[in-house]
Amino acid sequence: MDPYLGQTQDIMLGQEFLTWLWYTCEKTNGLFKVRDGQDIAVHVERRVSVQGGEGENLETATVSGAMSELRETKLGLAMGKKVTRALLRIERDVETWQTTLKAEDFTFGGFRTPPIEAGKDEGDDPDAKFLEKIFLIERALDFLDDIYKRFLELRLGPKWTAEVKDIKVWMVKG
Amino acid sequence: MSFIGGSASFTRYRIIDEPPKSLWPEIPDRLKKFPFTDIDNLPEERAWGWVCFDNMIDTEWRTAPPEKAHYIAFSFRLDTRRVPPAVFKKHFTIALEEEERRNKQEGRKFVGKDRKRELRDLVKSKLMTRFLPIPATFDVAWNTEKNIVYFDCTRQKVCDMFLEHFTQTFDLHLEPLTPYFLALNILGTEAQHRIDAAEPTSFV
Repeated sequence: MDPYLGQTQDIMLGQEFLTWLWYTCEKTNGLFKVRDGQDIAVHVERRVSVQGGEGENLETATVSGAMSELRETKLGLAMGKKVTRALLRIERDVETWQTTLKAEDFTFGGFRTPPIEAGKDEGDDPDAKFLEKIFLIERALDFLDDIYKRFLELRLGPKWTAEVKDIKVWMVKG
Repeated sequence: MSFIGGSASFTRYRIIDEPPKSLWPEIPDRLKKFPFTDIDNLPEERAWGWVCFDNMIDTEWRTAPPEKAHYIAFSFRLDTRRVPPAVFKKHFTIALEEEERRNKQEGRKFVGKDRKRELRDLVKSKLMTRFLPIPATFDVAWNTEKNIVYFDCTRQKVCDMFLEHFTQTFDLHLEPLTPYFLALNILGTEAQHRIDAAEPTSFV
């Protein structure tokens, strides 16, 4: 893709969103109230990638292990590293979604929805499987969009400075 | 890859232009106008185009129509012919040695750079016909109520090919919902100034 207006903002917003999400999920046990007052839980899973340095010195580290390693990664953030992608788990009642969100472009990797029920019976509409799957995908995207909206309002508003202070404390505490 | 399978990796786009109402009944015909064309028997390296969502060899949409409730679903098929590097290396060496032999007989010492490049292309196109193209399909799901398009791929090169083909087919432009564009989409253009002016946060 050719360079476009907002490309630098893309990286900044995406990385800061994932950092904030990780912090918020730990602070609130991942609980969010989204559209129509629905309660969901979001967890930043064990797999997180961080990046530090620039140009030839660019280093990427992917942590996919125990909590102690995640704590080290958090300390890395306090030293200037950025979250470049994170594995997210979203739960609503008994339903679970999972995806890896990439900070720079918000593409979704390995997107898993709750199991689909349609298409199991012979009499089912042939499109039922597709429609149920896309409904489930869009539902999770709506949840994520709501959370992103909350981040944007905070990020672009006067309360961000105070939030950053708390995030810094969280990073150092590990 | 497929949206219906176990897991999908995809990119989300917004249609920038408001699609004219006259477009909807034309969708099947437009897809058929830009279908995938098979290159199994042609010396082409790559081919791409639309195929039926439910059947990768159906370019007539006989298996199922693209309309599924308020979605339009179809697939972008991309066939690529690849010569394995080891096979190419072997045949290029043979061709080069033959050229060197011929050159010696004619009293020349070296094979020039340009001739080497020519040989490379010649060997590649000769071998190309001996390998079948590898087919790949990437699902497209278009929510016509929200004018959002999901493309079952995150590889930039393939996404670029898809974008161009989509615009060519429907005269519509897509914008990837990256953090910046998603922010504009969620908060509205009135927030653009604030988004553009935001400086990176230092957590150090």
